[in-house]
Amino acid sequence: MEATASFAQSNSHTQTRQGSFWRIAAIARNAFREAVRDRVLYNLVLFVLLLTAASIFIGELSGGQERKVIVDLGLSAMLLFGMFIAIFVGVGLVYKEIERRTIYAVFSKPVGRGEFLVGKYLGLCLTLLVNVVVMGVGVSLALVYVSRGWDPLIPTIWPAVLMIYMELMLLTAIALLFSSFSSPALSALLTFLIFIIGHFSADLKSFAVSMGSTSARWVFTGLYYLLPNLANYSFITPAAHGQAPSVGFVFATALYAFVYITVVLAAATLVFSRRNFK
Amino acid sequence: MSNVSNNARLTTITLGLLVVVGMACAALLVRWSDALRPPVDPNIIEESLYLNGKTAKRISLGFNGLFADWYWMRALQYVGKKRLSSGDLSLDNLGQLNIKLLAPMLDTATTLDPQFLEPYEYAAIVLPAIDVQQAIRLTQKGIDANPNAWRLYHHLGYIYWREGEYQMASEMYGRGAKVPGAPTWMEAMKAKMIADGGSRSTAREIYMRMYEQSTEQQVREMARKRLLQLDSLDQRDALRKLFAAYKARTGKCPDSWRELGPVFRAVRIPVDQSGAPLDPSGTPYVLKPGACEVELDPQKTEVPLD
Repeated sequence: MEATASFAQSNSHTQTRQGSFWRIAAIARNAFREAVRDRVLYNLVLFVLLLTAASIFIGELSGGQERKVIVDLGLSAMLLFGMFIAIFVGVGLVYKEIERRTIYAVFSKPVGRGEFLVGKYLGLCLTLLVNVVVMGVGVSLALVYVSRGWDPLIPTIWPAVLMIYMELMLLTAIALLFSSFSSPALSALLTFLIFIIGHFSADLKSFAVSMGSTSARWVFTGLYYLLPNLANYSFITPAAHGQAPSVGFVFATALYAFVYITVVLAAATLVFSRRNFK
Repeated sequence: MSNVSNNARLTTITLGLLVVVGMACAALLVRWSDALRPPVDPNIIEESLYLNGKTAKRISLGFNGLFADWYWMRALQYVGKKRLSSGDLSLDNLGQLNIKLLAPMLDTATTLDPQFLEPYEYAAIVLPAIDVQQAIRLTQKGIDANPNAWRLYHHLGYIYWREGEYQMASEMYGRGAKVPGAPTWMEAMKAKMIADGGSRSTAREIYMRMYEQSTEQQVREMARKRLLQLDSLDQRDALRKLFAAYKARTGKCPDSWRELGPVFRAVRIPVDQSGAPLDPSGTPYVLKPGACEVELDPQKTEVPLD
Protein backbone atom coordinates (compact mmCIF):
# COMPACT_ATOMS: atom_id res chain seq x y z
CA MET A 1 0.00 0.00 0.00
CA GLU A 2 2.80 2.36 1.03
CA ALA A 3 4.77 1.39 -2.08
CA THR A 4 1.75 2.14 -4.27
CA ALA A 5 1.33 5.57 -2.64
CA SER A 6 5.01 6.34 -3.07
CA PHE A 7 4.87 5.27 -6.73
CA ALA A 8 1.79 7.43 -7.32
CA GLN A 9 3.49 10.42 -5.68
CA SER A 10 6.66 9.92 -7.72
CA ASN A 11 4.59 9.59 -10.89
CA SER A 12 2.71 12.77 -10.05
CA HIS A 13 6.05 14.64 -9.49
CA THR A 14 7.33 13.39 -12.86
CA GLN A 15 4.14 14.52 -14.57
CA THR A 16 4.38 17.92 -12.85
CA ARG A 17 7.98 18.30 -13.98
CA GLN A 18 7.04 17.32 -17.53
CA GLY A 19 4.09 19.74 -17.42
CA SER A 20 6.34 22.49 -16.14
CA PHE A 21 8.79 21.87 -19.00
CA TRP A 22 6.02 22.16 -21.61
CA ARG A 23 4.61 25.30 -20.00
CA ILE A 24 8.06 26.94 -20.02
CA ALA A 25 8.56 25.83 -23.63
CA ALA A 26 5.19 27.32 -24.63
CA ILE A 27 6.00 30.65 -22.98
CA ALA A 28 9.49 30.66 -24.55
CA ARG A 29 8.01 29.96 -27.98
CA ASN A 30 5.55 32.82 -27.57
CA ALA A 31 8.28 35.18 -26.34
CA PHE A 32 10.34 34.32 -29.43
CA ARG A 33 7.35 34.87 -31.72
CA GLU A 34 6.62 38.18 -30.02
CA ALA A 35 10.23 39.31 -30.57
CA VAL A 36 10.01 38.35 -34.23
CA ARG A 37 6.65 40.16 -34.54
CA ASP A 38 8.21 43.22 -32.90
CA ARG A 39 10.78 43.21 -35.74
CA VAL A 40 13.68 42.67 -33.34
CA LEU A 41 15.50 40.64 -35.98
CA TYR A 42 15.40 43.61 -38.35
CA ASN A 43 18.72 44.62 -36.78
CA LEU A 44 20.18 41.86 -38.98
CA VAL A 45 19.49 43.98 -42.06
CA LEU A 46 21.54 46.82 -40.56
CA PHE A 47 24.26 44.34 -39.65
CA VAL A 48 24.41 42.94 -43.18
CA LEU A 49 24.59 46.45 -44.64
CA LEU A 50 27.40 47.33 -42.20
CA LEU A 51 29.41 44.23 -43.09
CA THR A 52 28.84 44.62 -46.82
CA ALA A 53 30.03 48.22 -46.69
CA ALA A 54 33.01 47.19 -44.54
CA SER A 55 33.97 44.37 -46.91
CA ILE A 56 33.96 46.71 -49.88
CA PHE A 57 35.51 49.84 -48.39
CA ILE A 58 37.68 48.78 -45.44
CA GLY A 59 40.42 47.42 -47.68
CA GLU A 60 41.05 50.96 -48.89
CA LEU A 61 41.17 52.44 -45.42
CA SER A 62 42.91 49.82 -43.34
CA GLY A 63 46.13 49.31 -45.27
CA GLY A 64 45.47 45.67 -46.10
CA GLN A 65 44.03 44.77 -42.69
CA GLU A 66 40.48 44.16 -43.89
CA ARG A 67 40.26 40.62 -42.46
CA LYS A 68 41.12 41.77 -38.96
CA VAL A 69 38.83 44.79 -39.24
CA ILE A 70 35.93 42.66 -40.50
CA VAL A 71 36.25 40.27 -37.56
CA ASP A 72 36.60 43.14 -35.06
CA LEU A 73 33.74 45.08 -36.60
CA GLY A 74 31.45 42.08 -37.11
CA LEU A 75 31.89 40.59 -33.64
CA SER A 76 31.75 44.01 -31.94
CA ALA A 77 28.53 44.81 -33.79
CA MET A 78 27.22 41.38 -32.73
CA LEU A 79 27.92 42.20 -29.09
CA LEU A 80 26.58 45.75 -29.37
CA PHE A 81 23.34 44.85 -31.19
CA GLY A 82 22.88 41.83 -28.92
CA MET A 83 23.40 44.02 -25.85
CA PHE A 84 20.72 46.46 -27.03
CA ILE A 85 18.30 43.60 -27.70
CA ALA A 86 19.08 41.96 -24.36
CA ILE A 87 18.57 45.22 -22.48
CA PHE A 88 15.68 46.87 -24.29
CA VAL A 89 13.69 43.74 -25.10
CA GLY A 90 14.70 42.06 -21.83
CA VAL A 91 13.39 44.87 -19.62
CA GLY A 92 10.09 44.91 -21.50
CA LEU A 93 9.40 41.18 -21.29
CA VAL A 94 7.55 41.30 -18.00
CA TYR A 95 6.54 44.95 -18.05
CA LYS A 96 4.59 44.66 -21.31
CA GLU A 97 2.57 41.73 -19.97
CA ILE A 98 1.67 43.74 -16.87
CA GLU A 99 0.95 46.92 -18.86
CA ARG A 100 -1.36 45.10 -21.30
CA ARG A 101 -2.85 43.12 -18.42
CA THR A 102 -2.26 39.89 -20.35
CA ILE A 103 -0.40 38.64 -17.28
CA TYR A 104 -3.79 37.99 -15.61
CA ALA A 105 -4.74 35.67 -18.46
CA VAL A 106 -1.43 33.85 -18.12
CA PHE A 107 -1.66 33.42 -14.36
CA SER A 108 -5.30 32.34 -14.53
CA LYS A 109 -3.88 29.16 -16.03
CA PRO A 110 -1.74 26.71 -14.04
CA VAL A 111 1.50 28.61 -14.73
CA GLY A 112 3.93 29.43 -11.93
CA ARG A 113 5.62 32.81 -11.76
CA GLY A 114 9.01 31.15 -11.98
CA GLU A 115 7.92 29.23 -15.05
CA PHE A 116 6.71 32.45 -16.62
CA LEU A 117 10.05 34.20 -16.00
CA VAL A 118 12.18 31.28 -17.18
CA GLY A 119 9.99 30.87 -20.29
CA LYS A 120 10.31 34.55 -21.14
CA TYR A 121 14.06 34.36 -20.54
CA LEU A 122 14.52 31.34 -22.78
CA GLY A 123 12.39 32.94 -25.51
CA LEU A 124 14.65 35.96 -25.64
CA CYS A 125 17.75 33.73 -25.49
CA LEU A 126 16.39 31.89 -28.54
CA THR A 127 15.96 35.24 -30.34
CA LEU A 128 19.53 36.16 -29.44
CA LEU A 129 20.77 32.76 -30.58
CA VAL A 130 19.19 33.23 -34.02
CA ASN A 131 20.68 36.71 -34.10
CA VAL A 132 24.26 35.69 -33.26
CA VAL A 133 24.22 32.63 -35.51
CA VAL A 134 23.03 34.66 -38.51
CA MET A 135 25.58 37.35 -37.70
CA GLY A 136 28.34 34.75 -37.31
CA VAL A 137 27.45 33.36 -40.75
CA GLY A 138 27.49 36.94 -42.08
CA VAL A 139 31.01 37.56 -40.72
CA SER A 140 32.18 34.22 -42.15
CA LEU A 141 30.76 35.11 -45.58
CA ALA A 142 32.38 38.55 -45.45
CA LEU A 143 35.73 36.83 -44.72
CA VAL A 144 35.18 34.48 -47.66
CA TYR A 145 34.47 37.53 -49.84
CA VAL A 146 37.60 39.50 -48.86
CA SER A 147 39.86 36.42 -48.97
CA ARG A 148 38.33 35.23 -52.25
CA GLY A 149 37.80 31.79 -50.71
CA TRP A 150 38.31 29.95 -47.43
CA ASP A 151 39.81 32.04 -44.64
CA PRO A 152 41.63 30.48 -41.65
CA LEU A 153 39.95 33.04 -39.35
CA ILE A 154 36.51 31.50 -39.98
CA PRO A 155 36.85 28.59 -37.50
CA THR A 156 38.42 30.85 -34.85
CA ILE A 157 35.55 33.34 -34.77
CA TRP A 158 32.97 30.78 -33.64
CA PRO A 159 34.36 30.28 -30.11
CA ALA A 160 34.29 34.10 -29.79
CA VAL A 161 30.66 34.06 -31.03
CA LEU A 162 29.85 31.49 -28.34
CA MET A 163 31.48 33.70 -25.68
CA ILE A 164 29.46 36.70 -26.91
CA TYR A 165 26.28 34.64 -26.72
CA MET A 166 27.05 33.62 -23.13
CA GLU A 167 27.64 37.27 -22.22
CA LEU A 168 24.29 38.20 -23.79
CA MET A 169 22.55 35.40 -21.86
CA LEU A 170 23.99 36.83 -18.65
CA LEU A 171 22.86 40.34 -19.56
CA THR A 172 19.36 39.13 -20.43
CA ALA A 173 19.04 37.46 -17.03
CA ILE A 174 20.15 40.66 -15.32
CA ALA A 175 17.71 42.74 -17.38
CA LEU A 176 14.93 40.35 -16.37
CA LEU A 177 15.90 40.60 -12.70
CA PHE A 178 15.72 44.39 -12.75
CA SER A 179 12.49 44.39 -14.73
CA SER A 180 10.88 42.10 -12.16
CA PHE A 181 10.74 44.97 -9.66
CA SER A 182 11.54 48.18 -11.52
CA SER A 183 10.36 50.37 -14.40
CA PRO A 184 11.72 49.63 -17.92
CA ALA A 185 13.77 52.86 -18.08
CA LEU A 186 15.44 52.27 -14.74
CA SER A 187 15.95 48.57 -15.53
CA ALA A 188 17.62 49.44 -18.84
CA LEU A 189 19.88 51.96 -17.13
CA LEU A 190 20.84 49.55 -14.34
CA THR A 191 21.51 46.71 -16.80
CA PHE A 192 23.67 48.98 -18.93
CA LEU A 193 25.62 50.01 -15.82
CA ILE A 194 26.12 46.35 -14.96
CA PHE A 195 27.42 45.79 -18.51
CA ILE A 196 29.96 48.58 -18.03
CA ILE A 197 31.01 47.54 -14.52
CA GLY A 198 31.15 43.90 -15.63
CA HIS A 199 33.89 44.86 -18.07
CA PHE A 200 35.81 46.64 -15.31
CA SER A 201 35.91 43.57 -13.08
CA ALA A 202 39.72 43.33 -13.35
CA ASP A 203 39.92 46.90 -12.02
CA LEU A 204 37.64 46.02 -9.11
CA LYS A 205 40.02 43.23 -8.18
CA SER A 206 43.09 45.45 -8.41
CA PHE A 207 41.30 48.18 -6.40
CA ALA A 208 40.62 45.58 -3.73
CA VAL A 209 44.29 44.59 -3.64
CA SER A 210 45.57 48.17 -3.56
CA MET A 211 43.14 49.45 -0.90
CA GLY A 212 44.71 50.34 2.43
CA SER A 213 41.62 49.95 4.59
CA THR A 214 40.36 46.45 5.30
CA SER A 215 36.69 47.42 4.97
CA ALA A 216 37.27 49.01 1.54
CA ARG A 217 39.17 45.90 0.49
CA TRP A 218 36.22 43.77 1.59
CA VAL A 219 33.76 45.98 -0.28
CA PHE A 220 35.69 45.82 -3.56
CA THR A 221 36.38 42.10 -3.20
CA GLY A 222 32.67 41.59 -2.52
CA LEU A 223 31.72 43.63 -5.59
CA TYR A 224 34.20 41.69 -7.68
CA TYR A 225 32.53 38.40 -6.81
CA LEU A 226 28.98 39.78 -6.73
CA LEU A 227 28.94 41.50 -10.12
CA PRO A 228 29.18 39.42 -13.30
CA ASN A 229 32.68 39.12 -14.71
CA LEU A 230 31.94 40.03 -18.31
CA ALA A 231 35.58 40.77 -19.19
CA ASN A 232 36.14 37.01 -19.40
CA TYR A 233 33.73 36.84 -22.32
CA SER A 234 35.66 39.39 -24.41
CA PHE A 235 37.41 37.24 -26.94
CA ILE A 236 36.90 39.39 -30.02
CA THR A 237 40.43 40.82 -30.27
CA PRO A 238 42.25 37.45 -30.00
CA ALA A 239 39.76 35.96 -32.50
CA ALA A 240 40.77 38.64 -35.01
CA HIS A 241 44.35 37.33 -34.66
CA GLY A 242 43.26 33.75 -35.25
CA GLN A 243 43.44 32.73 -31.58
CA ALA A 244 40.74 30.58 -30.02
CA PRO A 245 40.19 30.13 -26.26
CA SER A 246 41.10 26.77 -24.74
CA VAL A 247 38.34 24.23 -24.22
CA GLY A 248 38.92 24.43 -20.45
CA PHE A 249 38.44 28.20 -20.47
CA VAL A 250 35.24 27.97 -22.53
CA PHE A 251 33.93 25.27 -20.19
CA ALA A 252 34.78 27.32 -17.10
CA THR A 253 33.11 30.47 -18.45
CA ALA A 254 30.08 28.46 -19.60
CA LEU A 255 29.76 26.94 -16.13
CA TYR A 256 30.12 30.39 -14.55
CA ALA A 257 27.42 31.76 -16.87
CA PHE A 258 25.11 28.83 -16.03
CA VAL A 259 25.56 29.26 -12.27
CA TYR A 260 25.25 33.06 -12.40
CA ILE A 261 22.15 32.93 -14.61
CA THR A 262 20.56 30.35 -12.29
CA VAL A 263 21.22 32.60 -9.30
CA VAL A 264 19.89 35.71 -11.06
CA LEU A 265 16.75 33.94 -12.33
CA ALA A 266 16.15 32.49 -8.86
CA ALA A 267 16.42 35.99 -7.36
CA ALA A 268 14.12 37.38 -10.10
CA THR A 269 11.56 34.64 -9.36
CA LEU A 270 11.81 35.39 -5.65
CA VAL A 271 11.09 39.08 -6.23
CA PHE A 272 8.48 38.47 -8.92
CA SER A 273 6.56 35.91 -6.86
CA ARG A 274 6.10 38.51 -4.11
CA ARG A 275 4.90 41.16 -6.53
CA ASN A 276 1.28 42.27 -6.30
CA PHE A 277 -0.34 43.06 -9.67
CA LYS A 278 -3.48 44.66 -8.26
CA MET B 1 -15.98 62.75 -48.54
CA SER B 2 -14.00 63.63 -51.65
CA ASN B 3 -13.05 66.97 -50.05
CA VAL B 4 -11.64 65.19 -47.02
CA SER B 5 -9.62 62.87 -49.25
CA ASN B 6 -8.33 65.82 -51.31
CA ASN B 7 -7.32 67.66 -48.15
CA ALA B 8 -5.45 64.60 -46.87
CA ARG B 9 -3.61 64.27 -50.18
CA LEU B 10 -2.75 67.98 -50.17
CA THR B 11 -1.40 67.71 -46.64
CA THR B 12 0.74 64.70 -47.61
CA ILE B 13 2.15 66.47 -50.66
CA THR B 14 2.81 69.68 -48.69
CA LEU B 15 4.59 67.82 -45.88
CA GLY B 16 6.58 65.72 -48.37
CA LEU B 17 7.66 68.84 -50.24
CA LEU B 18 8.52 70.51 -46.95
CA VAL B 19 10.80 67.59 -46.01
CA VAL B 20 12.57 67.54 -49.41
CA VAL B 21 12.91 71.32 -49.76
CA GLY B 22 13.84 71.71 -46.09
CA MET B 23 16.62 69.11 -46.39
CA ALA B 24 17.93 70.77 -49.54
CA CYS B 25 17.94 74.15 -47.77
CA ALA B 26 19.71 72.62 -44.76
CA ALA B 27 22.39 71.14 -47.05
CA LEU B 28 22.90 74.53 -48.73
CA LEU B 29 23.10 76.27 -45.35
CA VAL B 30 25.72 73.78 -44.16
CA ARG B 31 27.82 74.48 -47.25
CA TRP B 32 27.41 78.20 -46.70
CA SER B 33 28.41 78.03 -43.04
CA ASP B 34 31.38 75.75 -43.93
CA ALA B 35 32.57 78.39 -46.37
CA LEU B 36 32.19 81.14 -43.79
CA ARG B 37 33.93 79.25 -40.99
CA PRO B 38 37.42 80.63 -40.33
CA PRO B 39 40.25 78.13 -40.92
CA VAL B 40 41.24 76.23 -37.80
CA ASP B 41 44.75 76.76 -36.50
CA PRO B 42 46.51 73.38 -36.98
CA ASN B 43 48.45 74.01 -33.76
CA ILE B 44 45.16 73.96 -31.87
CA ILE B 45 43.55 70.93 -33.50
CA GLU B 46 46.71 68.87 -33.34
CA GLU B 47 47.64 69.55 -29.75
CA SER B 48 47.30 65.97 -28.58
CA LEU B 49 44.98 62.99 -28.53
CA TYR B 50 42.14 63.16 -26.02
CA LEU B 51 42.86 59.73 -24.63
CA ASN B 52 46.05 57.86 -24.02
CA GLY B 53 46.24 54.17 -24.81
CA LYS B 54 45.65 52.93 -21.27
CA THR B 55 42.54 55.06 -20.76
CA ALA B 56 41.22 54.10 -24.20
CA LYS B 57 41.70 50.43 -23.37
CA ARG B 58 39.98 50.82 -20.03
CA ILE B 59 36.87 52.44 -21.48
CA SER B 60 36.70 50.22 -24.56
CA LEU B 61 34.44 47.67 -22.75
CA GLY B 62 35.64 44.68 -24.73
CA PHE B 63 35.61 46.56 -28.05
CA ASN B 64 39.37 47.22 -27.83
CA GLY B 65 40.13 45.42 -31.11
CA LEU B 66 37.68 47.66 -32.96
CA PHE B 67 39.06 50.78 -31.25
CA ALA B 68 42.60 49.67 -32.23
CA ASP B 69 41.47 49.33 -35.85
CA TRP B 70 39.97 52.81 -35.69
CA TYR B 71 43.20 54.35 -34.34
CA TRP B 72 45.18 52.44 -37.00
CA MET B 73 42.99 53.67 -39.85
CA ARG B 74 43.06 57.18 -38.38
CA ALA B 75 46.89 57.06 -38.33
CA LEU B 76 46.94 55.98 -41.99
CA GLN B 77 44.53 58.76 -43.00
CA TYR B 78 46.49 61.29 -40.91
CA VAL B 79 49.77 60.49 -42.69
CA GLY B 80 48.06 60.07 -46.07
CA LYS B 81 46.41 63.49 -45.85
CA LYS B 82 49.71 65.19 -44.93
CA ARG B 83 51.54 63.39 -47.76
CA LEU B 84 48.88 64.38 -50.29
CA SER B 85 49.14 68.03 -49.32
CA SER B 86 52.93 68.11 -49.61
CA GLY B 87 53.81 66.18 -52.75
CA ASP B 88 55.04 62.66 -53.21
CA LEU B 89 57.37 62.15 -50.26
CA SER B 90 58.71 58.70 -49.55
CA LEU B 91 57.10 56.99 -46.56
CA ASP B 92 60.45 56.66 -44.78
CA ASN B 93 61.34 60.32 -45.29
CA LEU B 94 58.48 62.33 -43.82
CA GLY B 95 60.63 64.32 -41.38
CA GLN B 96 59.66 67.63 -42.93
CA LEU B 97 55.94 67.00 -42.32
CA ASN B 98 54.35 67.92 -39.01
CA ILE B 99 53.06 64.48 -38.01
CA LYS B 100 53.63 64.61 -34.29
CA LEU B 101 50.34 62.79 -33.56
CA LEU B 102 51.44 59.67 -35.41
CA ALA B 103 53.45 58.19 -32.53
CA PRO B 104 50.63 58.63 -29.94
CA MET B 105 48.09 57.19 -32.41
CA LEU B 106 50.19 54.11 -33.09
CA ASP B 107 50.95 53.82 -29.38
CA THR B 108 47.23 53.88 -28.58
CA ALA B 109 46.43 51.34 -31.32
CA THR B 110 49.06 48.94 -29.99
CA THR B 111 48.04 49.44 -26.35
CA LEU B 112 44.46 48.58 -27.30
CA ASP B 113 45.59 45.53 -29.28
CA PRO B 114 49.21 44.58 -28.46
CA GLN B 115 49.17 41.73 -30.99
CA PHE B 116 48.33 44.02 -33.90
CA LEU B 117 51.71 43.92 -35.70
CA GLU B 118 51.11 46.36 -38.57
CA PRO B 119 51.21 49.56 -36.44
CA TYR B 120 54.62 48.49 -35.07
CA GLU B 121 55.87 47.97 -38.63
CA TYR B 122 54.49 51.33 -39.70
CA ALA B 123 56.17 52.97 -36.70
CA ALA B 124 59.49 51.34 -37.62
CA ILE B 125 59.30 52.65 -41.19
CA VAL B 126 57.80 56.12 -40.74
CA LEU B 127 58.89 57.29 -37.30
CA PRO B 128 62.72 57.11 -37.60
CA ALA B 129 62.68 60.24 -39.81
CA ILE B 130 60.56 62.06 -37.21
CA ASP B 131 61.57 60.73 -33.82
CA VAL B 132 63.90 57.77 -33.83
CA GLN B 133 63.58 57.18 -30.08
CA GLN B 134 59.80 56.80 -30.41
CA ALA B 135 60.34 54.40 -33.32
CA ILE B 136 62.68 52.26 -31.20
CA ARG B 137 60.38 52.43 -28.17
CA LEU B 138 57.29 51.36 -30.12
CA THR B 139 59.05 48.53 -31.94
CA GLN B 140 60.58 47.33 -28.67
CA LYS B 141 57.07 47.49 -27.14
CA GLY B 142 55.93 45.22 -29.96
CA ILE B 143 58.74 42.77 -29.27
CA ASP B 144 57.90 42.72 -25.55
CA ALA B 145 54.24 41.95 -26.36
CA ASN B 146 55.02 39.51 -29.19
CA PRO B 147 58.39 37.89 -28.48
CA ASN B 148 57.79 35.29 -31.18
CA ALA B 149 57.21 37.80 -33.99
CA TRP B 150 60.58 37.70 -35.77
CA ARG B 151 59.44 40.44 -38.19
CA LEU B 152 59.62 42.97 -35.35
CA TYR B 153 63.32 42.19 -34.79
CA HIS B 154 63.79 42.78 -38.53
CA HIS B 155 62.12 46.19 -38.15
CA LEU B 156 64.17 47.12 -35.10
CA GLY B 157 67.32 46.05 -36.95
CA TYR B 158 66.19 48.26 -39.84
CA ILE B 159 65.85 51.29 -37.54
CA TYR B 160 69.37 50.80 -36.13
CA TRP B 161 70.71 50.19 -39.67
CA ARG B 162 69.18 53.49 -40.80
CA GLU B 163 70.90 55.22 -37.90
CA GLY B 164 74.23 53.66 -38.89
CA GLU B 165 74.34 51.58 -35.69
CA TYR B 166 75.33 48.36 -37.44
CA GLN B 167 76.43 46.60 -34.24
CA MET B 168 72.97 47.07 -32.70
CA ALA B 169 71.30 46.17 -35.99
CA SER B 170 73.34 42.96 -36.13
CA GLU B 171 72.33 42.16 -32.55
CA MET B 172 68.63 42.60 -33.40
CA TYR B 173 68.87 40.35 -36.46
CA GLY B 174 70.74 37.82 -34.33
CA ARG B 175 68.00 37.86 -31.68
CA GLY B 176 65.31 37.59 -34.33
CA ALA B 177 67.09 34.67 -35.98
CA LYS B 178 66.69 32.67 -32.75
CA VAL B 179 62.90 33.02 -32.78
CA PRO B 180 61.26 29.75 -33.86
CA GLY B 181 60.11 29.99 -37.46
CA ALA B 182 62.42 32.89 -38.34
CA PRO B 183 63.77 32.66 -41.91
CA THR B 184 67.42 31.74 -42.41
CA TRP B 185 68.28 35.12 -43.98
CA MET B 186 67.90 36.74 -40.53
CA GLU B 187 71.09 34.94 -39.43
CA ALA B 188 72.79 35.98 -42.68
CA MET B 189 71.75 39.61 -42.06
CA LYS B 190 73.34 39.47 -38.63
CA ALA B 191 76.73 38.77 -40.19
CA LYS B 192 76.17 41.15 -43.12
CA MET B 193 75.45 44.07 -40.79
CA ILE B 194 78.80 43.73 -39.07
CA ALA B 195 80.85 43.02 -42.20
CA ASP B 196 79.12 45.28 -44.70
CA GLY B 197 76.52 47.41 -42.86
CA GLY B 198 76.77 50.54 -44.98
CA SER B 199 76.86 48.88 -48.39
CA ARG B 200 74.26 48.94 -51.13
CA SER B 201 73.99 45.17 -51.11
CA THR B 202 72.93 45.28 -47.44
CA ALA B 203 70.40 47.99 -48.23
CA ARG B 204 69.12 45.94 -51.18
CA GLU B 205 68.76 42.86 -48.96
CA ILE B 206 66.83 44.84 -46.32
CA TYR B 207 64.41 46.44 -48.78
CA MET B 208 63.99 43.19 -50.69
CA ARG B 209 62.98 41.38 -47.48
CA MET B 210 60.72 44.25 -46.47
CA TYR B 211 59.01 44.12 -49.86
CA GLU B 212 58.54 40.36 -49.59
CA GLN B 213 57.37 40.25 -45.98
CA SER B 214 55.19 43.32 -45.52
CA THR B 215 51.42 43.10 -45.82
CA GLU B 216 51.05 46.88 -45.75
CA GLN B 217 50.75 48.29 -49.27
CA GLN B 218 52.44 51.63 -48.46
CA VAL B 219 55.45 49.87 -46.91
CA ARG B 220 55.78 47.57 -49.92
CA GLU B 221 55.59 50.55 -52.24
CA MET B 222 58.28 52.36 -50.25
CA ALA B 223 60.53 49.27 -50.38
CA ARG B 224 59.92 48.90 -54.13
CA LYS B 225 60.94 52.51 -54.75
CA ARG B 226 64.04 52.15 -52.57
CA LEU B 227 65.01 49.09 -54.64
CA LEU B 228 64.53 51.14 -57.82
CA GLN B 229 66.75 53.80 -56.28
CA LEU B 230 69.49 51.27 -55.49
CA ASP B 231 69.34 49.90 -59.04
CA SER B 232 69.50 53.45 -60.36
CA LEU B 233 72.57 54.23 -58.22
CA ASP B 234 74.29 51.16 -59.69
CA GLN B 235 73.26 52.20 -63.20
CA ARG B 236 74.52 55.74 -62.75
CA ASP B 237 77.87 54.44 -61.46
CA ALA B 238 78.11 52.23 -64.55
CA LEU B 239 77.23 55.19 -66.82
CA ARG B 240 79.90 57.34 -65.16
CA LYS B 241 82.44 54.62 -65.90
CA LEU B 242 81.32 54.67 -69.53
CA PHE B 243 81.71 58.46 -69.58
CA ALA B 244 85.23 58.14 -68.16
CA ALA B 245 86.14 55.56 -70.82
CA TYR B 246 84.62 57.77 -73.54
CA LYS B 247 86.54 60.78 -72.26
CA ALA B 248 89.77 58.78 -72.15
CA ARG B 249 89.17 57.74 -75.77
CA THR B 250 87.96 61.04 -77.24
CA GLY B 251 89.35 63.60 -74.78
CA LYS B 252 85.89 65.11 -74.06
CA CYS B 253 82.63 64.32 -72.33
CA PRO B 254 79.68 63.26 -74.56
CA ASP B 255 77.32 66.07 -75.63
CA SER B 256 74.42 63.75 -76.46
CA TRP B 257 73.36 60.20 -75.72
CA ARG B 258 73.66 59.27 -79.42
CA GLU B 259 77.45 59.45 -79.08
CA LEU B 260 77.28 56.55 -76.62
CA GLY B 261 74.75 54.54 -78.64
CA PRO B 262 77.16 51.80 -79.78
CA VAL B 263 78.45 51.35 -76.21
CA PHE B 264 74.93 51.03 -74.79
CA ARG B 265 74.11 48.43 -77.42
CA ALA B 266 77.29 46.54 -76.59
CA VAL B 267 76.59 46.45 -72.84
CA ARG B 268 72.83 45.97 -73.43
CA ILE B 269 71.62 49.07 -71.59
CA PRO B 270 67.96 49.72 -72.52
CA VAL B 271 67.47 53.04 -74.30
CA ASP B 272 64.49 55.03 -75.58
CA GLN B 273 63.91 56.27 -79.15
CA SER B 274 66.21 59.27 -78.63
CA GLY B 275 68.99 56.94 -77.50
CA ALA B 276 68.81 57.99 -73.81
CA PRO B 277 69.32 55.15 -71.32
CA LEU B 278 66.32 54.35 -69.16
CA ASP B 279 66.29 54.38 -65.38
CA PRO B 280 64.73 51.39 -63.52
CA SER B 281 61.29 53.04 -63.68
CA GLY B 282 61.56 53.32 -67.48
CA THR B 283 62.19 57.10 -67.58
CA PRO B 284 65.11 58.39 -69.70
CA TYR B 285 68.11 59.67 -67.76
CA VAL B 286 69.16 63.29 -68.27
CA LEU B 287 72.68 63.93 -69.60
CA LYS B 288 74.46 67.06 -68.46
CA PRO B 289 76.18 67.98 -71.74
CA GLY B 290 79.95 68.24 -71.52
CA ALA B 291 79.99 67.47 -67.79
CA CYS B 292 80.27 63.65 -67.82
CA GLU B 293 77.36 63.56 -65.41
CA VAL B 294 73.99 61.82 -65.52
CA GLU B 295 70.86 62.71 -63.55
CA LEU B 296 67.35 61.42 -62.98
CA ASP B 297 64.51 63.34 -64.62
CA PRO B 298 62.89 64.86 -61.50
CA GLN B 299 59.59 65.56 -63.31
CA LYS B 300 58.99 62.08 -64.69
CA THR B 301 60.95 59.44 -62.80
CA GLU B 302 59.47 57.16 -60.19
CA VAL B 303 62.88 56.70 -58.56
CA PRO B 304 63.16 58.63 -55.26
CA LEU B 305 65.45 61.63 -55.56
CA ASP B 306 66.47 61.87 -51.87
